[in-house]
Amino acid sequence: MSAGPAVDPRGPRFAAIVTTVVLAVVLVTGWWPLLAAQTVVFAIGAFIGLKPAPYSLLYRYLVAPRLGKTTEREDAAPLRFAQAVGFVFALVGTIGYAAGVTPLGIVATAFALFAAFLNAAFNFCLGCEMYLLIRRFVPATGQAS
Amino acid sequence: MVGVWVVLGVLVAGGIAGGLLNARNGRIRAAKPAGRQLPAPVAEALDPDAAVTLVQISTTFCAPCRHTKAILEPLAARTDGLEHVELDVTNQPEVAQALGVLRTPTTLAFSPDGTELLRISGVPKGPAVMEALQEHLSGATTGPTS
Repeated sequence: MSAGPAVDPRGPRFAAIVTTVVLAVVLVTGWWPLLAAQTVVFAIGAFIGLKPAPYSLLYRYLVAPRLGKTTEREDAAPLRFAQAVGFVFALVGTIGYAAGVTPLGIVATAFALFAAFLNAAFNFCLGCEMYLLIRRFVPATGQAS
Repeated sequence: MVGVWVVLGVLVAGGIAGGLLNARNGRIRAAKPAGRQLPAPVAEALDPDAAVTLVQISTTFCAPCRHTKAILEPLAARTDGLEHVELDVTNQPEVAQALGVLRTPTTLAFSPDGTELLRISGVPKGPAVMEALQEHLSGATTGPTS
């Protein structure tokens, strides 16, 4: 299955900034429905595509028109894989908070925040570069997307 | 209140990790100790006519691998005795494991007999790569041409 067309690299960076803010708010407030919503956002990006992902839509209609055009393009496959990694952590976090196992919720959300912040601040895609490490521990994820 | 401290802790840890990762990006490291059998896909990728073959380990999910290729491919094209090969190990992670590679991109420089000369983590810097490879290239070539 193709991961979809290459995208403007500023879109994923914008999405990482929004994700960082959302996850920080979740940790500060402990309001898990917001984390559940973020889990759905990750799921759309990972399993349906980047184009219909909510933060991509926000970028396309609100941010991109204010920025100049760019010819730079970034492959979609790494970005979708990163969304899938984010989905797993956000899902575990949501289950933790919702089931009353708050420490689990906090730890899983903190890991997701760490990765999103690295992406937003340093343009470093932790999930993408660590694919081989992840694959070593979780062989089944090898065929993802 | 715990959440506020966790957020602050993660942001500080992320800032330090990001700074370290930036500093280490493109770092040239010594070759890992030999003694293991070179995985077949790597052995097949080596160019017997090139003094040095750069084997770039990539995966489908690696965004900086594309940038790495964009730096190394032209570098090899304009340098006598230097070859660049990209090896996608998405579906053969055992190759990366055999080489002791945990993150992509990692680029390994090999001599024609399969001896590892050095390895580079992250996106390499062209001039630094040339400097590190100079002694291995100079014996067989006249060095970079333009």
